[in-house]
Amino acid sequence: MLTVVLFFLFFSLFLYVLLAGADFGGGIIELFSSPKNQEKTKKTIYRVMGPIWEANHIWIIILIVILWIGFPQYFNIFVVYLHIPITLMLLGITIRGLAFIFRHYDAVKGRSQGSYNALFKLGSILSPLFLGIIFGGLIGGHINLFSENPNLSFKEIYIDGWFNIFSLLIGLFYITLCAFIAANFLIGEASDENELNLYRKKASYSTIALVLIGFVILVYGYFNEIAFVIDFIENKYSIIAVVISGIVLIPLWEMIKQKRKAWARILAGVQVFLVVSAAMLAHFPDVIITSTKEISILEGVAPDSVIQFLGIALLIGGAIILPGLYHLMKSFQLIKLFK
Amino acid sequence: MENLEAARLQMAITLIFHIVFACIGMVMPFFMVISHYKWLKTRKEIYLKLTKAWQRGVAIFFVTGAVSGTALSFELGLLWPEFMKHAGPIIGMPFSLEGAAFFVEAIALGFYLYGWKKLPEKFHWFTGVIIGISGVMSGILVVAANGWMNAPSGFTYENGVFSDINPIEAMLNAAWFTQALHMTLAAFVATGFAVAGIHAYQIYKGRNIELHKKAFRIAIIFAAIAALLQPISGDISAKDIAKRQPAKLAALEAHYETEKGAPLYIGGIVDEKNQEVTYKIEIPKALSFLAFGDFDAEVKGLNDFPKDEQPPVAIVHYSFQIMVGIGVLLAIVGLFYLLSLKWKHWQNHRKFWLLFTLMAPLGFIALETGWIVTEVGRQPWIIYQVMKTKDAVTPMPGIFYSLITYTAIYIVLTCVVSWLLARQIKVLNQNEA
Repeated sequence: MLTVVLFFLFFSLFLYVLLAGADFGGGIIELFSSPKNQEKTKKTIYRVMGPIWEANHIWIIILIVILWIGFPQYFNIFVVYLHIPITLMLLGITIRGLAFIFRHYDAVKGRSQGSYNALFKLGSILSPLFLGIIFGGLIGGHINLFSENPNLSFKEIYIDGWFNIFSLLIGLFYITLCAFIAANFLIGEASDENELNLYRKKASYSTIALVLIGFVILVYGYFNEIAFVIDFIENKYSIIAVVISGIVLIPLWEMIKQKRKAWARILAGVQVFLVVSAAMLAHFPDVIITSTKEISILEGVAPDSVIQFLGIALLIGGAIILPGLYHLMKSFQLIKLFK
Repeated sequence: MENLEAARLQMAITLIFHIVFACIGMVMPFFMVISHYKWLKTRKEIYLKLTKAWQRGVAIFFVTGAVSGTALSFELGLLWPEFMKHAGPIIGMPFSLEGAAFFVEAIALGFYLYGWKKLPEKFHWFTGVIIGISGVMSGILVVAANGWMNAPSGFTYENGVFSDINPIEAMLNAAWFTQALHMTLAAFVATGFAVAGIHAYQIYKGRNIELHKKAFRIAIIFAAIAALLQPISGDISAKDIAKRQPAKLAALEAHYETEKGAPLYIGGIVDEKNQEVTYKIEIPKALSFLAFGDFDAEVKGLNDFPKDEQPPVAIVHYSFQIMVGIGVLLAIVGLFYLLSLKWKHWQNHRKFWLLFTLMAPLGFIALETGWIVTEVGRQPWIIYQVMKTKDAVTPMPGIFYSLITYTAIYIVLTCVVSWLLARQIKVLNQNEA
């Protein structure tokens, strides 16, 4: 059953990174578009993402619930040492949710839309930035446990762990990944040639940026002896995943050129899957790296009886939710079936 | 401000706001699908218009509820990491099921909001029903988790170690049913009266009367029936608390001394220092009867509990009085509405509509004070008689700043939502004129 629980944990992480990422990315693309194109992008995003907007953001709740039920020790470190970036991320999510409500449910469509858009873009940057920083904090090896040294200062315990270059780079990486996902996703939805070119351009820029930042992270991590990066480089599975993700870029571009939306989307999804897998594989199960040691997610895992029930609940929940979600996406043509 | 106080206050403020969003998001879909059903049956445009107006309300509250729920799911850990470390696995069952129910709700909402003219009519309507049912399910499950904090079960606790965990037993704890029943009814009372009150105000002001009367009638029926059932559920809860949490009962009744044939206090000012309640109305032996069904039963007073295990008395007592007072009032007003269905001319008076306008906020006030009774009445425990709240709080200092941030967020959320709703109603009326 532990495998089932871990599978769902990974699965919801992947779906959150992908679906919420596409959503955050929409805002980021909007930010980097000219005012005229912004309006267009905004409309397309809403048309495409509207029906699944609510569902996209629930994956993070599922993720967090699995963590606290199944892996309480891990969750404990997560919430104690990364309190500040988690709060900032929540701030980002809240700002975004607010702006979303405003943009689409304000009965009066007037001048105030301008400020809603600004808020939306701000939230779209803040949320993935801090999500990345949180992840960077977990694996960056900068967390100082106060149980090991009671004389540490506030800054050393609660700030140094996540406020550093490595975490920031991971934050930037996730922002770029979001833009990449959204651009590739939107390509299939462009209403005219003009818009199509716009998204194509964004897709190519974000791909280049993604590869560059990824490279910078590896180089920086290697020279600063960040355990995660070194293990990443030495782990053959991670390297294989990264190499495959590089190779997948070629058919992805081919499919975009041929305007085969379904394949383009699947390949972009595969990209994200490979990136998330590579990161997870590098260190599994030690997914917290502090300044002195590596802590396994399986350390202090909940008792068997809990894992049993959690696994069953997830299987039943999954059996209800996933077909529903699939039909929702299909009904609104978010999944284009092959002809 | 001390960390513990700040953390408690932050939790309280977050929950106070979240409960409002969650209740409306849970109950409004029912109003919406009834209006929708009437549209399908009668094909009167006015029902379609009302359905769509309420649908916008549902969507706004769902997003707000989801945002504040996300924050809340993190906050439990951020503020009470020690609690979550031990309680997380034990009460995980209702939370994971709640996650599933919430997800179903989000999917159904996606179908419903975007399904107009795209989905088969009946199926489309049915997705609306699912929103309502899964919303109520989520509510019940979350309350079950809270019930566990009041009546912990499904584990063995020895020397600070939790073992023999049985998640099902924890979920079906002794408090889950009474609490869930009371809360679900309260959600219908509060939302029903609030929605009915908003529409009653529009009728009072003479705006778009036909539509608002239809809206009022749907909302008030739910509210009136729930309000009449609520005292029964309240009685069950009181008897349950008397048995399980005598300290809470003593606090909400402000009884310091143990006595047989205890009187019921109505109103009164609590003097915590001198352990007195002044200016109260006393009904002899009534408390013993209400709590135990026996006029001479012994009711434990607060002084029978160690000093460090007594909940704050004044706030719990006042909150309880407000909740019960409003509950009784709303039951009477609910009955009044049902009678007005027979004596229809009552509804011709403007004062009739003014009365229901004034009732609008009361349900929510009762609901909030009810939660204060439950939560503050359980203090100093976070898990009743197992873990104290002060042992669960985060070691991180400076929660005061977090408190300010979250308070600001929730105030903004509330202003935004109210403002948007006001604009919706305004536009709705303008289109009609």
